[in-house]
Amino acid sequence: MAAQTAEIERADSTDATMRLLRELRRTRSRKQVANLAYWLYLAAFAIFSYGGWLVAAIVRALRRPPPPVADTPMLLRAAPAGLAALALLVLVILLWDARWRGPVVIGQPTADWLLDTPIRRDRLLRPRYRASAARFVLAGGAAGLIPAVLLLAAGLGGSGPADSLRLAGVAMLGTALLAALGAGAAAWAEAHAHAILRVATPAGLLAVTALAGVAALAAAFRLPAVISTVLLWSGPWGWAAQAPVALAGGSAPLWPVATTLLALAAAAAIVLGDRAAAEVPAAVLRARARTLGHMSAAAFNLDARRVTTAYRGAIGTYGRVRLRIRAPRSRQLVLPWRDLTALVRAPSRLAWSALLALASAGLGALAVRAPHAALLPLIGALVLGYLAAAGFCEGARLDGDDPRRSAQLPFRYDTLAQWHAIVPCLALAVLAGCPAAALAIITGHALLLPLIAATIAVLVGGALVNSFRGELEGEMFEGFDTPLGNSSGITIMLWYVTGPLLAVGPMIILWSAAVTAERASRTIPEAVLSAALAAWLVHIAAGRARRLKSP
Amino acid sequence: MVTASPDPLLVLTGVSRSYGPLQALKPVDLTVLPGQCIALLGVNGSGKSTLLRIAAGRDTPSSGQVSYCGKPLREDALIARAEIAVAGDASSTYPDLTVREHLLLVAVAHGGGAQAAVLVDSTLAECRLSDHGNALPGSLSSGQRQALQLAAVLVRPRRVLILDEPEQRLDPGARRWLAGLLVKEKAAGAAVLLATHHVELAEAVADEALVLLDGEVVGRGTPGQALASIQ
Repeated sequence: MAAQTAEIERADSTDATMRLLRELRRTRSRKQVANLAYWLYLAAFAIFSYGGWLVAAIVRALRRPPPPVADTPMLLRAAPAGLAALALLVLVILLWDARWRGPVVIGQPTADWLLDTPIRRDRLLRPRYRASAARFVLAGGAAGLIPAVLLLAAGLGGSGPADSLRLAGVAMLGTALLAALGAGAAAWAEAHAHAILRVATPAGLLAVTALAGVAALAAAFRLPAVISTVLLWSGPWGWAAQAPVALAGGSAPLWPVATTLLALAAAAAIVLGDRAAAEVPAAVLRARARTLGHMSAAAFNLDARRVTTAYRGAIGTYGRVRLRIRAPRSRQLVLPWRDLTALVRAPSRLAWSALLALASAGLGALAVRAPHAALLPLIGALVLGYLAAAGFCEGARLDGDDPRRSAQLPFRYDTLAQWHAIVPCLALAVLAGCPAAALAIITGHALLLPLIAATIAVLVGGALVNSFRGELEGEMFEGFDTPLGNSSGITIMLWYVTGPLLAVGPMIILWSAAVTAERASRTIPEAVLSAALAAWLVHIAAGRARRLKSP
Repeated sequence: MVTASPDPLLVLTGVSRSYGPLQALKPVDLTVLPGQCIALLGVNGSGKSTLLRIAAGRDTPSSGQVSYCGKPLREDALIARAEIAVAGDASSTYPDLTVREHLLLVAVAHGGGAQAAVLVDSTLAECRLSDHGNALPGSLSSGQRQALQLAAVLVRPRRVLILDEPEQRLDPGARRWLAGLLVKEKAAGAAVLLATHHVELAEAVADEALVLLDGEVVGRGTPGQALASIQ
């Protein structure tokens, strides 16, 4: 076809193109349907083989709902805010999804080969939107089982199968309608107000936290009834909560009105989203298709780190340089400076890690206060502490992802792993260690201080072990056959959790021994053992780093 | 006798592009006429691709305007999709479609109708891909993949051709073919906007060249003049 000088005549070629694409891809579509059927079969098989007891328990609970218990009135008081929080969480998840992927999403080849042709965008994009919305509604309906099961377990499921089925039905209907509302709103935002999504997700999360806080307060104290009423009418999340609250015995007399309002809002949003789907800009579609392409490739290789990197690129974690730290003159301070810079350039990760560190300190204090029931808080404290340490180890992770990045630095690659321990140790010491130490001193457990310090080093050591794990090797996928199936699944899982397993596992035992010790002075051996464990973990991390550089 | 110059197809007026504090492209004016080829020359990171993306409507300038046929250019506008062909942007391919089927899809989407198959076969021959028509793109060499990108442009109607380093990965023979192709496109009335590192290609096909350095136009004129002005 030659170039043209006059304006090009544009006949609508949409039907012909879509027909051709369907024809060309018919074999692939058949394979996809067959694959889907296979996965559905596998899921059903797994549920009935391994989760049969759970299905049986749910059926039993539906037929004979558990009777109310002593705590039931307290849970009923918390239900309006608690259910509204869960409902709002459904919306927030959909808006978060729209921030980087969205209901209107096409594959990379379609973006590259069809977006800049003159076919009608509505024919290309609306089917995608409708399929996504249908999936969201199904998933939303399934998510409704969570509040239903919680209410049933709390003895709020009524007196017979009809009551419990009705409760489960309205809970699922509410979340399904919310999902429809979210899908429509997300498509509209993708097309017209993408910037809103950046603000909506954290704001929504804050609101969920606030609602959860109100639920906790309502459970602990008798709050004025007007608070529940305001929450239940505060928006679609409240409307969705009204029917389950009413059927569980709470006060929501106008729940049919609320459900109707929710259904109307969902229908309006779906229609609005359908119109907006055709108007999502090509640049947005192209960027998302690229992100999904990268994520799918990484997920196919079970490379969680690359999946995260692609996601961060999509939401613009490294989009702008907001903060600068002046580079040091001393060689010894170069890596701490680099690690600090990695932390301040991604403030959300820093904030999450700080939050986890504080929560870890709180749970640790709880464990020390109640030694007879210390195990669960201890496990929680150590797991959260490990996650915080992993967040603070971002500089090490970046070097571990690609050894070439540090090729020009004047450090051996194995000693690099040790240098990377400084900033995470300091950060964890400030954010978790200091509060924990202060609580220990106040409550008369000052001799725990060496153990707290050693624990920080152990958790960072474990995080460093994982930071330098390198890429998943092809051999791991092969595995070997055992009577319980191929070993590759276990091998890959172990490869992922080596760091936390080596750090958190022994520390649970050492801390359990320390908090149940009759005399605090007996915690010194645990502290010494922990310090040795920390040194060993850093040694392992250095060894892994060495192997990464010269495999 | 004075010959009236044709109406410009693409006009960029004072376009610039900043990414935060970094100014990737300082204000540039550019007018592209039918049958004219403008080459953008410059080292890596000089702003060539940024300027091309803005000219194709795929990036929004921080300041200035881009118009196509006298109207503001939007990538999503039907006229832009129908008339502006951008090569070298399709980094991915359908894993299950052959080379020929990819081209057929583009030709049909652009209204090729019953002629699409004939057009695709002749384009495959022109781009020296006939032997690979029934192959999946994954099996092509990098040079052949580049030829596929160019073929995708040739099976569709176009008034403006935007090419970002089309000579990349092509062997010397294919580069000569590319130069001949662009001359033919000009002769047929298409406007060509080309970013290249290959000075010989620019000299062979371009009527005007812009030399960019750090986002700023530092040389302008015929390719020879533009390069001479910075030496």
